[in-house]
Amino acid sequence: MLNILVFGAVTSAVYAMLAVGFTLIFGVARVLNLAHGAFYGLGAYSCYLLTGRLGWPLLPAALVAVLFVAAFGVAMERFLVRPLRHSALAVLMITIAVALLFEQAMFLLFGSEARNVPAFINATWSYGELDVSGQRLLTLGAGIAIVALLWLFINRTRLGSAILALSQDREGALYMGIPADRIYAVVMAISAAIAAAAGVLTAPFLTVQPTMDLLPMIKAFSIVIVGGLGSIPGSILAALLLGYSETIVAYAISPAWTEIVSLVAVLLTLILRPAGLLGKRAAF
Amino acid sequence: MRDRHLAFILYSGLALAFMGTASFMGAASVTGAAYGEEPPITIGVPTSVQLQVGRDSIDATALAIEEINAKGGVLGRKLRMVVADETENPQEGVAAINKLTADEHVDVLIGGYTSGVTLAQEPHIADSKTVYIEVGAASPAITDFVRRNYSRYKYIFRANPINAAHQADQLIDFAVAKLKGEEGYQKIAIIGENAKWVQDLSPVLKAGIEKGGMSVTSVDLFDPDTSDFSPLFSKIKASGAQYLMVVLSHANSDVLVKQWYDAKLPLPIGGIDVKSQDNDFFKRIGGKAVSETVANNIIPSPMTAKTMPFWNEFENRFKRGPVYTGAGSYDAVYIYAEAATRAGSTAADKIIPELEKTHYIGTEGLYEFDAQHDVKSGPGYLNFAFAQWYPDGSRVIVWPKEMAKGKMIPPPWITGKN
Repeated sequence: MLNILVFGAVTSAVYAMLAVGFTLIFGVARVLNLAHGAFYGLGAYSCYLLTGRLGWPLLPAALVAVLFVAAFGVAMERFLVRPLRHSALAVLMITIAVALLFEQAMFLLFGSEARNVPAFINATWSYGELDVSGQRLLTLGAGIAIVALLWLFINRTRLGSAILALSQDREGALYMGIPADRIYAVVMAISAAIAAAAGVLTAPFLTVQPTMDLLPMIKAFSIVIVGGLGSIPGSILAALLLGYSETIVAYAISPAWTEIVSLVAVLLTLILRPAGLLGKRAAF
Repeated sequence: MRDRHLAFILYSGLALAFMGTASFMGAASVTGAAYGEEPPITIGVPTSVQLQVGRDSIDATALAIEEINAKGGVLGRKLRMVVADETENPQEGVAAINKLTADEHVDVLIGGYTSGVTLAQEPHIADSKTVYIEVGAASPAITDFVRRNYSRYKYIFRANPINAAHQADQLIDFAVAKLKGEEGYQKIAIIGENAKWVQDLSPVLKAGIEKGGMSVTSVDLFDPDTSDFSPLFSKIKASGAQYLMVVLSHANSDVLVKQWYDAKLPLPIGGIDVKSQDNDFFKRIGGKAVSETVANNIIPSPMTAKTMPFWNEFENRFKRGPVYTGAGSYDAVYIYAEAATRAGSTAADKIIPELEKTHYIGTEGLYEFDAQHDVKSGPGYLNFAFAQWYPDGSRVIVWPKEMAKGKMIPPPWITGKN
């Protein structure tokens, strides 16, 4: 029971980090970014490169990795997405291309084998039946902090208000003089940075390999559909729902059954409530 | 309405992403030796070129070809190699075989890694009437084709690794004679990846261990893509098992072994773990493989007179030690070359009877084929060497007894030295 409580919370925190960025860029810029998993992978690989190959200490490496991926997100938005924004299909294709490019580049640069990123905390906590590594607890804490900070940023700052305004009424926001392109770049940077942070935090217990972007992409996608496209509270709720459902299934039935949970949730959502749990009906 | 349209695009996009990730190019590349006056004998190497097992197959085949060509080749003809990427996907595997046999007209195929891929390839290999020497996949079903329909499938041989049933026998010997007999363990939990060769191996393993007087507390097969082993570990811990036996090849054992270490699971781990045969495995996962005992087909130790010369040459040349497919491919090229020399021909019908008479001491041991063209295993033939990762990152053979070079050590947290 304690296992389910703690490991479910860790999984949910990782899912929330993946999903909020994905839903944010969709809600604000209407960009379906299928390279979101590549941000996650790029964060982890950058951290591996800096620590494993260049010998940097972990903390500066992690920070530089997150900043690098944020800059990568901005560059991708500026040079690849923005010129194609008039066509949703073209944006979709270019983001898939970036995701595939990421995988192939990692294959070529680092090979197909899994790579190691050191953990921030090596200790293990035991309490009754529970044995949990410090790195997982750190991921849980950092996940909660990141999502809370994002919430405060959007609801309590001027820039956050501009982001909200753009997501609610693009034309109205433009009339008010809000610089849409600059805001899109900021949102892409935030989205990429949060995904990269998830990659850096989970890499020590999941390792790093070229195809690591696909599963997080599917999870982010499933959560956003269940929670409601464009809704951050919906994503957090769905992350908790899927994180805990998967953990319960893993403990009660078998870990082999976990992957089907999110797919069933997506199917049920589309049949019963196509707009998602907290999505506006208009959003779908 | 527009958003509905968007949703449709979104799903199509995701489907495309899946397909993009799943499909890898099956490009073939050619490595030629110097051509003699006679046309060269072409060795086709179907393997997973993106993996260490595949790269080692290619490099070791090239090394054997170079050595044989330096001594004048086979039947006065030089050897050359053509590679095709079979990935780990049966469809790509069949395409690779068709490319090598129909387009490249190779004389022999030496390769393979994934049992499911080889099984899908076999009818195509038989159709092409090309001799195939397996060097990577372990399912007994592969050579069962030969037993069931010799005239159609006589082209199929397996030189390496020993098949999953033989592997099970050697794991049982390790469990009963070493773990129970010498270390005093009574209860074992078995986990493995959900793949054909493990489905074949795990029932035999369980029955054998129980027959040896130990109890098997659980057998769990998991998806090779599993990334979180906490639920499985928690179940194993609760089962009261004293030793965790793994049966892994394709699964990401980097993650499994790391999480075993991080969770400080109160039981040692060991068994078949192909990723942990990699020489850099210990370093790759930050030293967390410490005390894992791994069944190796080849290890830098004089298993035969040929082991160390091959190992050293491979290491000098490619700056890494070989894994089992490397040793298997290297030996398979020599086995083929000797059979062709004895047959005086490269025609399949002439070579097959000679391959059946193989008695060749290679880098891994003595190679002989049984009636269904499977390499023989056991004392005197090919054997596993169970080697344990020591804290300094070296590997020390702990079983079988006659090869053992050191004592078995427990995980550091069990001895309280962590």
